[in-house]
Amino acid sequence: MTVLTFAKWIVGAPAWIASLPEGLQRLIFQFYQVFIYENRWKFFTDGLATTFIVTIGALLIGVVIGMIVALIRSTHDNQMRKPNIILRILNSICKIYVTVLRGTPLMVQLLIMGFVVMVPKTSFQTTLCAIITLGINSGAYVAEIARSGIMSINAGQMEAGRSLGLNYAQTMWHIILPQAFKNILPALGNELIALLKETSLVTVIALQDVTKAAQVIVSKAYTAVIPYISLALIYLVLVMILTKLLGILERRLRKSER
Amino acid sequence: MSDNVIIRTENLCKYYGDKIHALHNVTAEIQRGEVVVIIGPSGSGKSTFLRSLNLLETATSGKVFFEDVDITDPKVNINIHRQKMGMVFQQFNLFPHMTVLKNLTLAPMKLKKMSKADAEEMALTLLDRVGLKDRADAYPSQLSGGQKQRVAIVRALCMSPEVMLFDEPTSALDPEMVGEVLAVMKDLAKEGMTMVCVTHEMGFAKEVADRVIFMYDGEIEEVGTPDEIFNNPQSPKTPQFLKSIL
Repeated sequence: MTVLTFAKWIVGAPAWIASLPEGLQRLIFQFYQVFIYENRWKFFTDGLATTFIVTIGALLIGVVIGMIVALIRSTHDNQMRKPNIILRILNSICKIYVTVLRGTPLMVQLLIMGFVVMVPKTSFQTTLCAIITLGINSGAYVAEIARSGIMSINAGQMEAGRSLGLNYAQTMWHIILPQAFKNILPALGNELIALLKETSLVTVIALQDVTKAAQVIVSKAYTAVIPYISLALIYLVLVMILTKLLGILERRLRKSER
Repeated sequence: MSDNVIIRTENLCKYYGDKIHALHNVTAEIQRGEVVVIIGPSGSGKSTFLRSLNLLETATSGKVFFEDVDITDPKVNINIHRQKMGMVFQQFNLFPHMTVLKNLTLAPMKLKKMSKADAEEMALTLLDRVGLKDRADAYPSQLSGGQKQRVAIVRALCMSPEVMLFDEPTSALDPEMVGEVLAVMKDLAKEGMTMVCVTHEMGFAKEVADRVIFMYDGEIEEVGTPDEIFNNPQSPKTPQFLKSIL
């Protein structure tokens, strides 16, 4: 692979570029080098696909784990009598889980999962490793968010449901959780945005996400400005789109309160 | 024991810690078709007593029999019995994320396996009786306090309960809305519904109650007809209390 130099490129460039001032010419050259030469934009799109897959996968795992942990924790805390032994053990496990996962850096968790626990060989395995690690990590945060949501619902709602003869699970599902979900949506959106950005850490287990793509291009084109600024813009646009979507969802759910 | 007893409590006690007691050896009977009003100063345990009838409050010791079943027995599935004990709360506790109609049909559809059409038909008939048929599609936040409480009563009625428990149903209402809720309760009483009602509405107690229970400091101080309690009380604490709330 040969490095494209400015001198070589300008010779073959269209005539209208040659008539521009040199500063502009160099800028266009950089863009060309970063995105067009050797179809390098494909690094970005492939990387984005990986970033999306990891974010969505981790989100699903995080929400499922978070919900389960939050339900166990709040059920335990709501018991009027002394909770039974199984619930107490589950509650302790959940507490340890949240403490450990929130108490260690995600980067370290990725290193441990990537090089100690799972040690992925193929790119599929690496993606899976990233999804699982981020999902387990996110679950700890979602658990606390969901728990705060469940706790925010007036105890009278549970009593009203139970007084009608609905059991604990039915009341949770039909009455408490829909209201809790509405209350935690902004915090959950925050977590999703954080998760999307944290996927950039998967480069440490050599996963080809969009951040890795930018790094690869930097090493090929010998220029850092355009790739990294573009990378930042990509994340920014994604987060802005997400924020917009969450806002729409929030407004829909708030309808009943007017 | 007479067949007519629907709820019976035996030595119901509720302690917080060792010293503080909310209920102390409360033994009482509620007859089928009877309207029992529970009065007493705040902190006398009347709400705790009412809430322990359907086990929203678990007593420290003592028993509650509902239709001759000891529902304080942990082996009993309390959910089945709660279906027959409607409850109305001070704070209404309507489900804010559901329309009025959904509030009413949720339990009948989930627990009685009623079809949506049947449940809605029944709900609308009952709503019509409390004058709120046109608010079926409203959300609770769009209703006034009095309307909310009427919907809450209908919600309990939708399970066709054997007995209705009212926990200070008018205490959270603006004064001008108390009447509409009491009117619904009087209608219910007239139809022969068994009712246990904790209230500060002495007018309601005098007019509708078959028996009045006066509670003081976690115990039943006096039980009698409204006439006995209001005009000829046996305990010196009864007139003392009645004077204080006038």
